Formats: sequence, structure tokens, C-alpha cells
Amino acid sequence: MSQEDPILSDDEDDKRLMALVAEGDDDALRMIVHRHHARLVGYLRGEVGCQATAEELAMEVFIRLHRAANRWRPDAKLSTYLIHIAHNLVLNEWRRRGRKPTTALEFAAEPGDQTHDSARRVTELDEAFQRAIAQLPTEQRTAILLVVQQELPYEDIAGIMGVPVSSVKTWIHRARSRLRDLLKDFYGPA
Amino acid sequence: MDHLNPQPFEKDLATALSRGREIRVPGFADRVVGAVRLERRRRTVIRWSSVITGAAACVITMLVMRSPSEDSLNRQTVALVAREESNQLTDLLGLADDLSLLTPVVDKKSSIVEVLTTPGS
Repeated sequence: MSQEDPILSDDEDDKRLMALVAEGDDDALRMIVHRHHARLVGYLRGEVGCQATAEELAMEVFIRLHRAANRWRPDAKLSTYLIHIAHNLVLNEWRRRGRKPTTALEFAAEPGDQTHDSARRVTELDEAFQRAIAQLPTEQRTAILLVVQQELPYEDIAGIMGVPVSSVKTWIHRARSRLRDLLKDFYGPA
Repeated sequence: MDHLNPQPFEKDLATALSRGREIRVPGFADRVVGAVRLERRRRTVIRWSSVITGAAACVITMLVMRSPSEDSLNRQTVALVAREESNQLTDLLGLADDLSLLTPVVDKKSSIVEVLTTPGS
């Protein structure tokens, strides 16, 4: 099986690959992982604030996907299904720890071609955002990550979190307000 | 600290979050496939262990079923004792029968005695 360009992610191809995974095709699984792991690790790192834990959880997501390959029905996009599994694992992880993670400061800003002062400012603002997001209540953080970072529609987020769309909208609104409040040193009072 | 324009808040939020939107991990797919293969082998071992354990349990059950149980042995012992007692009783009853056969002979008056005891004889 030839490696495909991960940018050319396609729902139909995911379905085809999942059918092959169900038959025990490890190369098909490798292609699915190659295609989807970056977003999954990104989401999980946003949730737990730790690269190593994010990778462990992402690994578990794909192992569970493999286990469920026979039962998987392509009702939803595979990427959404993966995030759904990941969200449940995050909830389990927090229950296991007895608390939610409080820091998410491993991100490093890349200054690019900006001036030194400007780059420092970007880094400072970026870290402030990460700290603020880590302080959000669980549901608000998940909702804001899924809508802003993963660019998922409200309906998909509601499906992933197992709540009505109205709850998702409320959490996102509250998350934005809370972030504005936490970052008032940068943006002034909301 | 200088306050930024409130308007870029949404833009900055999106920028800050989108920075971590995709984190590509080199060799991750191979690690996953390796973990899946390991789990597949583990499940195969567990499945065969389960089959072997089940078969062993069946064999043991059959052996146990074929050998007499304690209850069965008790019943057989009681039956033997009862039969023995029955034999003894039969022997006794047999003797009694013999006695009963003799009894009429003993009780029966002999004709000589009868003649001698008859008044007027």
C-alpha cells in the first residue's frame, strides 16, 4: 500500500482504510495514524498541557480505534470519532488523577521574521493565553479548544461532549468571557 | 502593561490556539502499529489460555462425574448395611419359621396320652 499525502485527507478514503483495518491490515492503520495523529496530539496537548501525556493518550485512542474497527460505522467523520474517543480518555485521565491539569506552558512561540521586542511580546501573550486556557473549567476549555483550535461545528462538539448544542454555545460564551477577564492586563476589562 | 486593542482578542485567541492545532510526532504511526501488534499477540495468548483452561475444566468435570461421589459412596454403604441386616433378619425369620413348623407337633397331644387321659378309659 502506498503512502498518501496527509494533506489529501478524505472521508471516503478513511472509510476504505477502516474497512482494511477491520481485516487486520496494519499498513492501513499506519496510514490512518499518519493522517490524523497530528491534530489529535494537538487537541490532547491543549487539554492536558503535557506533550508526553498527550502522546500516550493519542496512542490509546488509536489502539481503541483498532479494537473497535469491526464495529465502527461511518456515521460520522473519522476525525470527529477520534476526538470523541480522545475526549473520553481525557475525562478518564482527570478522574484518575483526581484533578484537572493546571498548566499548559510547553508551547514555544516562533518569532519568525518579527523584531526581537515584537517576538518577545508574542511569546508573552501566547504563554498568557495558554495559562488562561488551562485555568478554564473543564467543559469550557474543551468547548473552546474544539471550536477555535480544531474548528469543529457546534453540532459535532455537542456530539463529542454528549450535550445539547445550547450547552456548547453557553460554555464557549463563558470561556471567551473568562479568558477576557484573565487577560485583562493585555486587553483591558471586558 | 499597555492594553492592546480589544478587537484583536479573537484573533490572538485563534492564533494562540492554532499554534498547537497540529503537532506532528515523528515515528508515531510505527509506535502505534507496534503497540497494536503487541496487543494482538497478547489477546491471542489470552484467547488460547482461555480455551485451554476451559478444556481442562471439562476434562476434570468429566473425571469427577465418572468417579463415585461421597454421597454416592454413603448411599452404597447404607444399602450394603441394610442388605446385611435384612439377611440377618431373614435368617432369624427362617429360624422362626422352623420353630412355627415344630410348634404344632409339640403342642399336639399324642394319641396315647389322649387315650389315657380320657375319662372312663
